[in-house]
Amino acid sequence: MSSDILANLKQAILDYDPDAAAEWATKGVEQGINPAEMLAAMTDAIRRIGDGFNCGDLFLPDLVGGADAMGAATPIIQEEVRRLGAKTDSTGTVVIGTVFGDIHTIGKTMVATLLQAEGFIVHDVGINVTADEFIESVRTHNPDILAMSALMTMTATEQRKVIERLKDEGLRDSVKIMVGGGALTQEFADSIGADGYDPTAPGAAKLARRLLGR
Amino acid sequence: MGFTRGFTRRFPPLRVLSEEQVEEIHRGTLQVLWSTGVHVEHERALKLFEQHGCRVDHDAMRVRIPPGLVEDCLRKAPSSFPAPARDPNKTLMIGGNTLCLAVAPGHKTVDPTTWEPREATRKENYDAVRVLDALPTVHFFSPYTPYFGFEGVPSCMAMPESLAARIRCSTKFQCVGFSNDSEVFAIDMAKAVGIEILGTCAWAPPLALYRDAVESTFRIVEAGFCLRVVGGQVMGGTATASIAGAIVTNNAEVIAGLVLAQLIRPGTRVLVKDFTAPMNMASGAPAFGGIEISIHNAACNQMWQWYGVPLDNTTAYPNAKVPDFQSACEKAMRVMNAGISGGNTLLFHGSVHGELTHHPLQSVLDDDLAGMVGRFMEGVTVSTESLGIDVIEKVGPVPGHFMSSPHTRKWWKLEQYLPTTADRLTYPEWIATGKRTCLDYARERMEEILTNHKPTPLTPSQEDEVERVLEEARAYYQKQGLITDDEMRYYRETMKSPNYPFE
Repeated sequence: MSSDILANLKQAILDYDPDAAAEWATKGVEQGINPAEMLAAMTDAIRRIGDGFNCGDLFLPDLVGGADAMGAATPIIQEEVRRLGAKTDSTGTVVIGTVFGDIHTIGKTMVATLLQAEGFIVHDVGINVTADEFIESVRTHNPDILAMSALMTMTATEQRKVIERLKDEGLRDSVKIMVGGGALTQEFADSIGADGYDPTAPGAAKLARRLLGR
Repeated sequence: MGFTRGFTRRFPPLRVLSEEQVEEIHRGTLQVLWSTGVHVEHERALKLFEQHGCRVDHDAMRVRIPPGLVEDCLRKAPSSFPAPARDPNKTLMIGGNTLCLAVAPGHKTVDPTTWEPREATRKENYDAVRVLDALPTVHFFSPYTPYFGFEGVPSCMAMPESLAARIRCSTKFQCVGFSNDSEVFAIDMAKAVGIEILGTCAWAPPLALYRDAVESTFRIVEAGFCLRVVGGQVMGGTATASIAGAIVTNNAEVIAGLVLAQLIRPGTRVLVKDFTAPMNMASGAPAFGGIEISIHNAACNQMWQWYGVPLDNTTAYPNAKVPDFQSACEKAMRVMNAGISGGNTLLFHGSVHGELTHHPLQSVLDDDLAGMVGRFMEGVTVSTESLGIDVIEKVGPVPGHFMSSPHTRKWWKLEQYLPTTADRLTYPEWIATGKRTCLDYARERMEEILTNHKPTPLTPSQEDEVERVLEEARAYYQKQGLITDDEMRYYRETMKSPNYPFE
């Protein structure tokens, strides 16, 4: 029974079906299945989708569909983790968002999904995120990595502002910082004091692992 | 051929929708505007919508616009309007059966041998403007052009510096964007120099209008200038993957912007833009070279002729990285489609790859392509003289020919477009030139323009005013913390050339 539920939960992600994913997660909790096993089943599924995307067999709607299905089930399982006081394995925790003044979401969402496929717990704080909101998210989630996206030249400088604010708040050394976006270069990332930059979403997901030495 | 003031289409436009389909899309658009509504992050705009019968949820910043108001505002917007240039001979009439082409911007320039991107210098920016001023098929300038910025210029100063360069080195009509209140300085600069500008209201699809876009709209419209309302959706990402659905959302966005402009100032001259591209589903980037853009533009051109408001087509950005076969195909499809289906404006010249790179060599190549389409749009002249029945009678069958006929000497020049960069040589002639390509010819023409073209300069007092506004912008952004002391020092260093502002 336990293996059926895990298989169905995994299949729901592979079918991009959020309703089924939530349903099988709920059943798993009701049946007392170890939440770590459920999270592992979902990570396995999103990793398969991520691999398919990286090799060109699957496309962005598949990637985001898988992430949505996983997003529907994750809170149910996380709630059970908290109730049990259990520990879960993850590669690390990431806060990700698009900086203030910039409402581009696609690149940020791609990176967030591929980070999940790499086993990260991802807190996506959305678009048009102010420096204050980033600071607050870092305090709340205590992430290993803060990832900031900015598509436009005009908004890329906002990444510098967030890094400066992290320094002012004494938080800079507690978190690795990744930056990305169409207008960015490695030189720019270096100039604002980011720890990492990659021009592609799959590259960014691998970079996150490297930054944490995992 | 006199192309300086736009191309005139002398035949009925291409129709890709039936009348029933036009009405179905229109009904869908009205339904979205009334049921789904649009998100507007601006309290003054929300109140204005509410005062004119819209349902407004102030907490959610959601505006639902009734069909009656939509149709009333569509009627108030002019179907065509003058766009005055610094040189009155280059003033445009936007709308009707005219296509005006403009500059397609690039974030950076490219090295014209490796084709790799790099930041433009001040001189390269000004030189690129001079080339565009000289090209007859560049009818006006779009925002951020030719480059989003250049060496030494802090990013917040990119827009004011862009407009200053274009005013200094071109007498053509100018369009401006908005970022960090840049439109305030654009309005000030335009008024100080005594020119008109086309401002911008840009949507954040799907169906959202952020504060800075609304602020720009109020400022531009209240200053009495004309407004370009721009969508910007990616099909499959920020719009439906289906073309019909993406026409509905683009139209809903630009109509809501048009309504706002008419509520602020009835009769405001509005150019709406269908800025739609499919998503590259492997990368998430817009597939700017996609043929789907042309069919979307063609359908929107038909819709907006029906509405009676001028339409700007999706900027002709290629996915290609060099001016090659792919680039020419992607650009040719787009400009020809705009020409035959009734697009009123198209940002066309100079983009090498997407909105990332621009180069004057490409502008020269594009001038030729544009000229060919301009010629096509003139269509077929049918008259007693052009039919030439008497000439045909006189020449008769072989061994007769038309080469020595006075009719030929007159008409070949009227009918043929003579390209400046396309190679039409025979093989022996081509080999004798050292196998020159269109790029070689384009380079030669670009260098000839840079050597000989002297744009009409501003008067000394106009020049003082431009520099005054730039200084005010610099001070404003420094006070805002958007220019650091180090950036300002470097910026000032780049302004010490004896040939400032041109290099």
